[in-house]
Amino acid sequence: MNCLDPDRRQFLKMSAATAGSALVLGISWTGSIESSEKVSPPFSPNAWLKIDTDGIVTIFIAESEMGQGSYTALAMMVAEELDAEWQKVRVEHASLDPAYGFQGTGGSRSVRRNWKTLRNAGAIARQMLLNAGSDYLNVAIDECQADKSRIIHTASAQSVSYAELVTGAAKLPIPTSITLKNPESYKLIGSSLPRLDLVEKLNGSARYGIDTKLPGMRYATIVQSPIFGGQVERFNASDIEKLPGVIDCFALDEGVVVVAKDTWQAFQARKALKIEWSEGKSTKLNSEDIIQTLVQHASLETNSLIFEKGEPLSQLKHPTNLVETQYNLPFQAHMTPEPMNCTVQIQQQRIKIWAPTQSPTNAKAAALAALKSLIAQPTQEEIDALEQRIEVITPLLGGGFGRRNLQDYVSQAVKIAHRIDQPVQLVWPRSEDLQHDYYHPLTQHRLQGVLDKQGMPQVWHHKITGLQADEYGAQTLPYSIPHIRVEMQRLDSPVPIGPWRSVSHHYNAFAIEHFFDELAVAGGHNPLHLRLRLLREPRLKAVLQIAAEAASWNKQSERRVLGCAVHSSFGSHVAEIVELVKDDNQAFRVGKITCVVDCGVAINPDTIKAQMEGSIIFALTAALKSRITLKNGKVEQSNFHDFPILSFKESPQIEVIVAKNHHDPGGAGEPGVPPLAPALANALLSAHGKPVKSLPVKFI
Amino acid sequence: MALELLINGTTAQLEIDSNTPLLWVLRDHLTLTGSKYSCGIGLCGSCMVLIDDKPMQACQIKANQVVGKKITTIEGLAKESDHPILKAWYEIQVPQCGYCQSGQIIMAYALLKNSSNPTDDEIDQAMSKVLCRCGTYPRIRKAIHQAAEMMREKEASS
Repeated sequence: MNCLDPDRRQFLKMSAATAGSALVLGISWTGSIESSEKVSPPFSPNAWLKIDTDGIVTIFIAESEMGQGSYTALAMMVAEELDAEWQKVRVEHASLDPAYGFQGTGGSRSVRRNWKTLRNAGAIARQMLLNAGSDYLNVAIDECQADKSRIIHTASAQSVSYAELVTGAAKLPIPTSITLKNPESYKLIGSSLPRLDLVEKLNGSARYGIDTKLPGMRYATIVQSPIFGGQVERFNASDIEKLPGVIDCFALDEGVVVVAKDTWQAFQARKALKIEWSEGKSTKLNSEDIIQTLVQHASLETNSLIFEKGEPLSQLKHPTNLVETQYNLPFQAHMTPEPMNCTVQIQQQRIKIWAPTQSPTNAKAAALAALKSLIAQPTQEEIDALEQRIEVITPLLGGGFGRRNLQDYVSQAVKIAHRIDQPVQLVWPRSEDLQHDYYHPLTQHRLQGVLDKQGMPQVWHHKITGLQADEYGAQTLPYSIPHIRVEMQRLDSPVPIGPWRSVSHHYNAFAIEHFFDELAVAGGHNPLHLRLRLLREPRLKAVLQIAAEAASWNKQSERRVLGCAVHSSFGSHVAEIVELVKDDNQAFRVGKITCVVDCGVAINPDTIKAQMEGSIIFALTAALKSRITLKNGKVEQSNFHDFPILSFKESPQIEVIVAKNHHDPGGAGEPGVPPLAPALANALLSAHGKPVKSLPVKFI
Repeated sequence: MALELLINGTTAQLEIDSNTPLLWVLRDHLTLTGSKYSCGIGLCGSCMVLIDDKPMQACQIKANQVVGKKITTIEGLAKESDHPILKAWYEIQVPQCGYCQSGQIIMAYALLKNSSNPTDDEIDQAMSKVLCRCGTYPRIRKAIHQAAEMMREKEASS
């Protein structure tokens, strides 16, 4: 369906043509599109910071804040090398600007990829302030030091504040070489400073994407085909247009849109929509059918080989002591608390997009693609002019977990704003959000292991079969086993698949770590001791040892059973131990969970702890409660009643220990997820003697 | 239709459909966006507000049901910025994404108003009505105990 009428198309073409000439536009480092009238800040040697004459240090953060604490950790990295007084530090979300490179937050990368850049940015500014300060105090620079936003000359007991120096420092050349601090002299890095985004999050003033309000803004919602890939055939537009508050009702390629004066009127009208859809990709498909398909493919020999060591296949021909298993893991949804939404205002000069997105860069690309689709055969000039007009603003994100790497809601909102020619906010109701996710894929794992006479694993064979499955987390095995083979069948998916907190590490770690315990039990070994014996990575071994001690591994009983698991992902090493305790009704429940993380230098240990706590609860939801199923091509779940998440009273006690060291930083947002489900399954195996063959496991 | 609602101590005059759920009156008509939309059917508690000091989900109440009642949202509650709950929430560093936290804080406020020294069971009962996808529950429990202690100390010293 095409919603483009000739007038609107003309507007788009016209404004595209005039945008370049009406105003002198340019990409500057601090704003995506700024007019030439912009006043330079007093002191801003690079795109990452500025210092004003009142001494306020503003640090520009180019990563989305979705709860993981990157605003604070990244600001600490700049402020550390800048020797800024922390109380004077503010953060602002960076505009979409080539100075920051690709802007996309994911893969637990925020700290890792900015580690050197941000410290350099701070150190460059400090060097310039030192130069300006030694001039100002008329002393030798090597006798000066920087501390708490001042340049200090101890010998003469003189000092001068950054506020007084910024004007002079701004005139100095950018230093070509700088020295970064020794970790021993860190003042901020390594301390649990309070998060910079909390005050607003406590008083209701924090602005998420869905809180964007514009004068004259309209409210839109959408119904997409319940069967993936279905197209709108016909719908009752004339009935809907009569409903209270409704301004417009029309179809896009993606589905039927209702625009109204408030969100509730849009949602009410949405419920009254009667739509006929063409058949889609997932017509008549059930989850059971997909599992059957995986079973069939798992027996084929056409797998791609991921890793091989030794002679696993010949060893498997006549095994004496073979252990085999199969695990089925379901689709999962992200269930971000803030449903998908986007606000768009198309003006002559600018196309402003408030996108609660993990990637403003991709949001801009999606917006441009949407606008291009509305013009027949656009010229390169028109496309360039459109691109110049697009400004992406990134508010806070009410959860991301990978979902907001996809930009479907952005392109929809742009098309709607263009059609109605008014500022508009698109909000997906919860059911739409849950039924049109990019899901964590359904996967199946077949594993075979061969034990020698001492019960030691000699052969390891792991076959991953899944819809758009990935091998990350299973490419190599953390254990010393002589013969290893890992292979994968990656099938096309009729269901949208996307990154979900820890991505393939989640399912692969479950398979590896649960099967390891199956092997240990079959061989008569204590799973903890066998791990400590076979683990190759010393840091992974170390976190497991600390966790075992913290959880009192040796103090198990009939009423207190433990399971452990380890996994390295996103540059970090994590061990988790799940405790099961028997209550008075002789049933086991989850007691305490112990987690030890080594993510290299811990910028803000308390934020890292919070990420581990959050990861454990996120993973526990998937292990115990939630899953997505398909029936006749449709997602069966629609809200928190049938996609339940862990509640307050179900939440266990959690102890997190953050290792201290000076290794380069690893990630924190995801590595806490993968070990949880296998540690839980291992505790259940120990308690009941039976492996967990599929998730979620019902026992609470 | 004209409606008069008493919100955070201020009377708001509204020309709206009186069946509009309070959540959307707050968010879309009064730009009080601290109360959040997440499930829309009374399951998640992100839109928790106080109606005559009782916690209720704003998505489940129609505007015409709260005429003449005292409505308090997070914006109203946060006017007492030194409230022990807000202080404890800050000290314990509870929020992550923060989206559900206004609901959590409203619920904790109502809990501590009724019980100055709640047991873990009482906390479980009350707080299980507000869901958090980021997993801030262990910190919420700590913050409630800490806020309760601060409130008892405050009471004892006054």
